Amino acid sequence: MLTLGSLTFAAPWLLAALAVLPILWWLLRLTPPSPRRISFPPIRLLFLLRPKEETPHRTPWWLILLRLFIAALVIAGLAQPLWNANFGFPRGGPVMIVLDDGWAAAHGWEQRKEAASALIDRAERNGRQVILATTAPQASAPSFGLTPMPAATAATQLAAMEPSPWPTDRAAAAARLDKANLPSDLNIFWLSDGIGSQKSDIDAAFSDTLQAHGSLDVMSLKLDLPLMLLPPERDPNGLWVKVARTQIGAAQPVRLRALDRDGRTLGISQGTFRADERVARIKLDLPVELANRASRIALENAASAGSVTLLDDGGGRKPIGLVTDNPALSRQPMLGEIYFVERALAPNHEVRADRLQTLLKQELAVIVLTDNSIFAEGDRAALRQWVERGGMVVRFAGEKLSSEPTDDLLPVRLRPGDRTLGGALSWTEPAHLAPFPNSSPFAGLQIPKDVAIERQVLAEPDIDLGNKTWARLTDGTPLVTGERMGNGFSVLFHVGSTADWSNLPISGLFVEMLDRLVMTASGIVANADENRPLAPAQTLNAFGQLTPPIASAVAIVAKNLSTTKAGPQHPPGFYGPDNQHRALNLAPSQPVFAPLTVPARQLAADRTLELAPSLFLVAFLLLIADMLIALALRGLLRRRGALATTTAAAVALCLLTAPQPSDAQQLPDQDILAATETTHLAFVRTGVPQVDATSKAGLYGLTQTLLRRTSVDVGDPVAIDVEADELSFYPFLYWPITAGQRTPSAAAIGKLNKYLAVGGMIFFDTADQNLIGMSGGDMGPGAQRLMELTPGLDVPRLMAIPPDHVLTKSFYLLRDFPGRWIGGTVWVEVPRGRVNDGVSGILVGSNDYAAAWATDELGQPLFPVTPGGERQREMAYRFGVNIVMYALTGNYKSDQVHVPAILERLGQ
Amino acid sequence: MATATFEKAKYQAAEIAERVPPLLLAARRIAATIEQGVHGRRRVGRGEAFWQFRQYYPGDELRRLDWRQSAKSDRLFLRQMEWSAAQTAFLWCDLSASMRFASKRDLPSKLEVAQVLTLALAGAMSRAGERVALLGSGERPTAGRFVLESIAHRLAHLAGQAESSSDQKFSIPPHGALPAHAHVILVSDFLAPQEELKAAINRFAGTDCRGHLIQVLDPAELDLPYAGRVRFEGVEGEGDLLMSRAENIREDYRTELANHWDGLKLLAQSAGWSVSRHVTDQSAAKSLLEAYQWLAADHRPTAHQ
Repeated sequence: MLTLGSLTFAAPWLLAALAVLPILWWLLRLTPPSPRRISFPPIRLLFLLRPKEETPHRTPWWLILLRLFIAALVIAGLAQPLWNANFGFPRGGPVMIVLDDGWAAAHGWEQRKEAASALIDRAERNGRQVILATTAPQASAPSFGLTPMPAATAATQLAAMEPSPWPTDRAAAAARLDKANLPSDLNIFWLSDGIGSQKSDIDAAFSDTLQAHGSLDVMSLKLDLPLMLLPPERDPNGLWVKVARTQIGAAQPVRLRALDRDGRTLGISQGTFRADERVARIKLDLPVELANRASRIALENAASAGSVTLLDDGGGRKPIGLVTDNPALSRQPMLGEIYFVERALAPNHEVRADRLQTLLKQELAVIVLTDNSIFAEGDRAALRQWVERGGMVVRFAGEKLSSEPTDDLLPVRLRPGDRTLGGALSWTEPAHLAPFPNSSPFAGLQIPKDVAIERQVLAEPDIDLGNKTWARLTDGTPLVTGERMGNGFSVLFHVGSTADWSNLPISGLFVEMLDRLVMTASGIVANADENRPLAPAQTLNAFGQLTPPIASAVAIVAKNLSTTKAGPQHPPGFYGPDNQHRALNLAPSQPVFAPLTVPARQLAADRTLELAPSLFLVAFLLLIADMLIALALRGLLRRRGALATTTAAAVALCLLTAPQPSDAQQLPDQDILAATETTHLAFVRTGVPQVDATSKAGLYGLTQTLLRRTSVDVGDPVAIDVEADELSFYPFLYWPITAGQRTPSAAAIGKLNKYLAVGGMIFFDTADQNLIGMSGGDMGPGAQRLMELTPGLDVPRLMAIPPDHVLTKSFYLLRDFPGRWIGGTVWVEVPRGRVNDGVSGILVGSNDYAAAWATDELGQPLFPVTPGGERQREMAYRFGVNIVMYALTGNYKSDQVHVPAILERLGQ
Repeated sequence: MATATFEKAKYQAAEIAERVPPLLLAARRIAATIEQGVHGRRRVGRGEAFWQFRQYYPGDELRRLDWRQSAKSDRLFLRQMEWSAAQTAFLWCDLSASMRFASKRDLPSKLEVAQVLTLALAGAMSRAGERVALLGSGERPTAGRFVLESIAHRLAHLAGQAESSSDQKFSIPPHGALPAHAHVILVSDFLAPQEELKAAINRFAGTDCRGHLIQVLDPAELDLPYAGRVRFEGVEGEGDLLMSRAENIREDYRTELANHWDGLKLLAQSAGWSVSRHVTDQSAAKSLLEAYQWLAADHRPTAHQ
């Protein structure tokens, strides 16, 4: 071992190899670099020349120097140089590292670990064993105990150590040490968290215990101690958060972040410790609604369990029930009765849509009834009881309520019938909202100018109608009425929950009004049992992150929660069932928050630096440089080429290491514009070239026919890849079924389902009528294939097309639907009430329609029709026109208005 | 084995033939810069340009009467044309290995430049109505529009042969029986031993042929821009030479090259021929114009009218 100042060589005898360098110098000088080789046609002329002087070409001196330097670097590296190697311990026994691993140690944990690992390295170099001791209580004693172990084992144990989210218990740690029967010549290093115990004599006693076993070196982060958040206080003005610190003397700014249950930031507040302040009170600057949703408050730039305070679930998210018998129907986008209500409430609250009987069994704050909510007499009584216990029922008017307003669950008596404002047969204009009265829960909400009411139910005049009116129109008629009913509320919107009667449900005001109503509701109506055990739901780790509960965590009885101290059995965190989380915070278990009184020196890892790897790296880089120089001297590197190659290599390296841009599926705007500027007929690309060409030609022919005969302005047909392309731009998809087609992925099926749900139309053409005709069966191979291709596609019940279907009269009056073949049945959806206006989203045919429609650029048909005749082709075109009209206009032609004209045309 | 060699040759020929269209294009572009008519013989004969009216004498062909002129006076006139005759030119392009040299990647090889020059000359001359043939091809000199294509194909074919064989015969013009008074244009780097060249030129001069030499050189062959320790290697099996300081011999080399040039000029003058030099980084049109001016100069064999 050789030491020169801070530099130490672990294998100094290897430095003797430096003596070889002069020999190397001599050898390098002797061997010149090999010459460049150049083909040169006029070499005969060169043969005639005698060179003037033939000095032997030598390697340039600087190159020799470079090579010698490389050799010297390698030799020095092999001699294992160490920088700052700190040797020796004061005592002869093992090394003991006492690590504070309570919550406060999480602040600066990496530095502590680094210092401990440097100590273990030093112990390893000195051949000492290591004892690891911790001070925070644990559910089970650590496996390594208080026994000396080899330094390598200690290093792995140290790597696995984590701080705990509760305070240290040095008294218990001292007791453990006393029992452990340790030798008295230990070298003890106490890496303290810098926070004092609950009584200052505990720390002194602990320090004495340690000193009794050998030399003691106490280290701590002296200036950078953690802060602790105390439980917040609520008052009418908002939420006050208290932050405690251990050292005073200087002003200190702090920033707080309020988060909701999902970890989204609700707001950030700033405050300052005054120079002499130990506890700072900071107001959380948040609107009440947001403050109610806060689930935890965390100190910025701090990562310990003490820098987070958790809040009970309360005012924020409430469970809300939407009564419906058919969730699928009433959730239908834009048309469903609960669609807008659910959209308004779901972001901030927990919304469940179900039958009333089911909902009444659950814990709910608000129940929403729409016009079509059906409930039996018994349910009505149960609902009334629920309201009187403190629930809130919000109802919406509609056709049913206006026709029989005999209901005792209403805040006001209603007149039969309704009034219509505006419209074709009325002089009146749609009515607007008057500013909300101050007594109303909606007081202060901004009313957008464009909210207009076209139809509403009217209340019977009554003495206290004015008091019950929470919102009214500019002419004074009530729009929202509410009444206290027992402990709860009954609220009625005099308009429907869809956009039929007014555009209120699609305005932002609707969201705010519903939010205010939910805030008004008294809360969950359920009896809380104070003896129920609260199981741990989420616990904090020492770094202040919420994690699934640790293994040692056990349930707390509800009434004991406020007195429970954080510890291994009860780590700080959320306890109790979902939505009713109760918070257990760290702060109450650390009532005294003061610095450590035992004198300590600043924590510093005296890190030994191994220089060998850096030396080898430099030598390697220089070796590469030397190689490049040698190549350049031999002329193998063309100057420009070399530059380009080097640059290209560097760029390639950068590109390889650079993160690949995620290929987000975003359509360029031009494509969207192109797809939406005009309507396009679209067909599904099957991957079979012939079929795709036929589809394209077919839709081209149909497009031309449409342009010629109708006012439908369609652009060129578009090929669609169901996997990749956006479908929603196209009102109509033609999908020929072939054997060679790939089954769409689950994602594509999902996309198709969504397309159908929002009113898209797919026309499946099995194109196998010719085969059915031969085999005489009912279902051809195409239909089988269709079923294979579309597993999971939301296909409702289909039926053969009835003779009075809209498709038979949407433009032409048709009786049969020939394509290239005749006789195939066209299948349509069985109408499902108001879903999609009864328009069939799926049509299935088998007559190979695209082939019948297909024309070339000049309008010449491409395929013969069978059995034939221009009439058959004409009928095929007419059917195509009808389908497109059906896709574009829906059930317009099924309207009764057209019946007389159609009957007349039919000659009936 | 033989089949394999044949296949390889065929493949190479095809590869070289692929280069024909761009070569042709370059040649045509350059040739179009030179305008030269058919050489008028300043006497009556077969031709297309009007020469004079002559009075009709009995015995003259009646169909040669110029009626319009005759109607102007009482006598009858014949229209006579100027006799125009085409020259015969033989072209030769050195296809040896030394020509396939280019000192920089962005420079064309000497061979490419030489081929372009050859074809451009052929094109210019055939457009001017001369009869042109490739020396050593064994074909008769022809005139017409398709001469250029056939010469280009012939040249590409020969170049393919030259590339696949290491034979020395491609660096010296072959001796073929040439018609008297033909013109010979040789395009080469003329780096082969001058004695062989002299023998060949004297053979041509012996049949009273006139000729022009175009030396094509790479800029590196002019300047020897190399420095340091360099091993120069010959491309036609001349051996190699190690120079420890190439920059030291640069001046001597230039002198030697100048001597070689003088020798070439002397050689040409002794046979009554002329010589010009083209460097591959120059525009080909300039050298072509030089050669063409020499061709157009009035040293055609007037003694044999």
